[in-house]
Amino acid sequence: MQGATRQGYDFESATRRIAYLVLVVLCAAPFFVTNEFYVHLAVLICLNVVIVGGLALLCRTGQLSLGHGAFIGLGAYVAVIATMRGHWPFWLGAAGGALFAALVAAILGWVILRLRGVYFVLVTFAFAELVRLVMLSWSGLTGGANGIVGIPSATLLGFAFDTKMRFYGLALVTAATVIAFLYAFIRTPTGHAVDAVAENPALAEASGLSVHRIQLMAFTIGSGIAGLGGALLAHYVGFVSPESFNTGLSIAVIIMLVIGGRQSVWGPVIGPLILTPLPELFRGAVQTQHIFYGAALILILRFLPGGLASLLMRMSGDRASH
Amino acid sequence: MDLNALIGQAVVNGLIVGLLYLLMAVGFTLVFGVMRVVNFAHGEFYMLGAFVVYYCVTQLNLPFLFSVVITFVLAVAFGWIVEWLILKPFRHDELNGMIATIGLAMILQNLALMAFGPSPLSMPSVVQGVVHLGSMVIPSSRFYVVAFSIGVLLLLYVFLRYTRIGRALRAVVQDIEIASVQGIRASLFYPFGFGIGVGLAAVAGALMAPLFSVSPFIGAGPLLKAFIVVILGGLGSIPGAVLASLLLGMTESLGSTFLSSGTADILIFAFLIIMLVVRPGGLLARPEQ
Amino acid sequence: MKRKIGIVLVLLAAISVVASISVVALPQEQETLKIGALVTLSGSGAAWGQGMLHAAELATDDVNANGGLDVGGKKYRVQVIPYDDKYQANEGVTVANRLVFEDRVKYIIGSVGSAVLLAIQPTTEKNKVILMTLAFTSKALGADKLFTFRPVVTTGEISQPQIDWVVKTRNIKRVGFLFPNDETGQSISSDNSAAYRKAGATPAAMESFERDRVDFVSLLTRILAAQVDAIELGGNSPTTAGLILKQARELGFSGTIIHTGGPATQEIVNVAGKQAAEGLLEHTPINPALASVKAYIERYVAKYKQPMNGFSPAFYDGTRMMFDAMRKAGSVTDSDKVRLELEKIKTFSGVLGEESWTGKARYGIDHQLNVPFYVAEVKDGQEVIRAQCTVAGCK
Repeated sequence: MQGATRQGYDFESATRRIAYLVLVVLCAAPFFVTNEFYVHLAVLICLNVVIVGGLALLCRTGQLSLGHGAFIGLGAYVAVIATMRGHWPFWLGAAGGALFAALVAAILGWVILRLRGVYFVLVTFAFAELVRLVMLSWSGLTGGANGIVGIPSATLLGFAFDTKMRFYGLALVTAATVIAFLYAFIRTPTGHAVDAVAENPALAEASGLSVHRIQLMAFTIGSGIAGLGGALLAHYVGFVSPESFNTGLSIAVIIMLVIGGRQSVWGPVIGPLILTPLPELFRGAVQTQHIFYGAALILILRFLPGGLASLLMRMSGDRASH
Repeated sequence: MDLNALIGQAVVNGLIVGLLYLLMAVGFTLVFGVMRVVNFAHGEFYMLGAFVVYYCVTQLNLPFLFSVVITFVLAVAFGWIVEWLILKPFRHDELNGMIATIGLAMILQNLALMAFGPSPLSMPSVVQGVVHLGSMVIPSSRFYVVAFSIGVLLLLYVFLRYTRIGRALRAVVQDIEIASVQGIRASLFYPFGFGIGVGLAAVAGALMAPLFSVSPFIGAGPLLKAFIVVILGGLGSIPGAVLASLLLGMTESLGSTFLSSGTADILIFAFLIIMLVVRPGGLLARPEQ
Repeated sequence: MKRKIGIVLVLLAAISVVASISVVALPQEQETLKIGALVTLSGSGAAWGQGMLHAAELATDDVNANGGLDVGGKKYRVQVIPYDDKYQANEGVTVANRLVFEDRVKYIIGSVGSAVLLAIQPTTEKNKVILMTLAFTSKALGADKLFTFRPVVTTGEISQPQIDWVVKTRNIKRVGFLFPNDETGQSISSDNSAAYRKAGATPAAMESFERDRVDFVSLLTRILAAQVDAIELGGNSPTTAGLILKQARELGFSGTIIHTGGPATQEIVNVAGKQAAEGLLEHTPINPALASVKAYIERYVAKYKQPMNGFSPAFYDGTRMMFDAMRKAGSVTDSDKVRLELEKIKTFSGVLGEESWTGKARYGIDHQLNVPFYVAEVKDGQEVIRAQCTVAGCK
């Protein structure tokens, strides 16, 4: 597609401007809507953006995790236990949850990241199952199958995020921060190193980059972000249980990332934006919804491996992969 | 029951369950060996096999073994078509192929849900009663499933070892490039390998349908077991799968009988992770990358 | 190629938009009363969820056949809006939000699972939505939960009377328990084991397992090694109970097998087969000999062509009680008034017999329906009533 002059009209930068405008309107809309259900959906979208963003970071290094749900759960449980049993303030509990998830990822990653491709995926899967079983069995700490109820709302400096609107503000800010971080990160030298590692690990290694260290860093930070998402989710829904963080969640995150786009920083935005409200269209036809997901996944992988974000990029003239 | 008898019973239980797991897992490892695809839809083919046999036996009143054979043939054909239509673009793309099979699994399970509804269905047992081995008790139905499974596995072994097609399949597993040079049409073997692999999954489902119930949700369990067996035994290694499934069955049985089910599960997963790290190639592999 | 992708995506988007318009923006009739059904329609809880949903639909059919629900001088056409919570707390929360804020219902039949109920109660209580729930957890009802009602008796009510009777008449000394390690399994088995202890029997083995498990031979081996006279299956889903029963009999266990939990006989017989299920002692809330019950079952099967789950009549009665309360309150929108009228119902002649509210001693509020229930023995695939029970005891 040619750039500037096509009948004198710059299609691409117009597309870009419209896209940004739509994004701003979507972000602002929940503040003006009276139907709380839509605000609820908006909150979920933002939390999903955070979670998928974490996975996207790992994905950029060429590895895929089927255990992302476990890290979301670890962050959620640690934050909840900290705020409810330890009476920590919310922000500290959430930070604790994120840090704990990151720590576990660092230890696990240190050991398993020398595996590649499907082997790595299978280990993350086994790890996620292990975490779920531990959550289920350690009922003294986690409440076991009953989970933990009555989680208090998030509060910050005395300001309680106990209405949907307020929490949406918090979720929006967090999601925006995560995306901004990703956006900035991929433009740093480390970010470029990440791309190099994904494209050709052997070449990257030969040119002095430590593939292991870069992947470890991405895995750690990405899982920490997931933990943060989990902590927020727990304080919004008010309830956690081991079943909320099973393989199904990990698969849902992968679906959002793949359909959104694994290469672009907008993938973690578009995926959740489209896929989170989608079940609401299908309510009453649950099977059709899942068939749609499966078919969409296969079609995107086949025809649009860069996800929907790559389509947007092409239309707005972004020739680079991000 | 005294301790010796208990241990004996647990061991027998473990062997039986291990053979069931082997039947579930062997198709999965074959598919990976031939095509380097981690087939997430493996469990759904198991489930479809159970439904086909259920339909044949209860609606068409066909004999059980005959129905199992029909199931195998149908599954191989279906698998062939699915591979050719859907998985072909991913033949050399492990990660994306794996994600595509996730999509495939969702489609298959939900089509089954739409067709059959969520309620579990029950097939009449093929045999009743128990078999006594000393003081140990084996339900006859399981005994028969185990016997059939051994039969299937022997057939597979003979096929892979002594028939031309089987040997060609093994060659493809070993090294696709050399196999092509030898004149083996790799593009035919991909759908064929996939078909056989999911055919084995369907046969497993068919054989176990009278033991457990039949519903669109029964695929998840066997998929998980197949994962574990194949991780332990090595992706693509059939001897490894044999060793691993027996080991898994025994560990589960002894663990559940003497400890508790929850503890046994946790131990298995912890062991699995250690295994993957220390020996990613599986129990029988050389300790390399 | 790009054009093709573009066209496909535009088509997909168009389909989505059309679907959303038709689902979301249907012009609503003026006099429609919407009742939500937040139930499990997939997975192992589906039998219960469908029983609840169909019960609400049958009660709604009754009312609509008479031209509508006559409240405060207006006639309302009643509509049941079902959603599947997939037995997951997070799904339940999203569905509850949709029902409360989007569909704007004030009455919900649901949930099936305890985890879902606990997750949605903050939303429903805060927005004054009346809930008729199946959840067995004792935390479901409370003095602070003014809008939650439970029309089915739970193990909290039935365990002691039934188990007293079973232990006495079958002379049971040692019991083995096998139950899933989810919240329903854990709460039911703890109710039951306490009841056995009080009745004089010893819980000799308690084994829990992952909910999706299908092979119990090793766990049964362990239980049989503990020399039990009886195995208690309360807390298991109907299919799982059937599998355990079948495998226990295959292993040669000849003692008494008991299922003190929700009604499941039909499904258990389906899975285990008539021979294995022979002699099973089952809790049942319905006496098939009662004319009202028979009529309900026939109607249910005729309309839905599925076996009726034993919980269904309770929700049929519960929905009708809600309608009654609305009539007496003269409003369908003021759920506070309706709730008060609902509580005021002293006895209700339902399908199951004479029903009243109870529960203050145990939960702090009288929102638990007290109905007669029975111990049945399975003979040749059918339930035969052996004892009639109330919360006071069985005969």
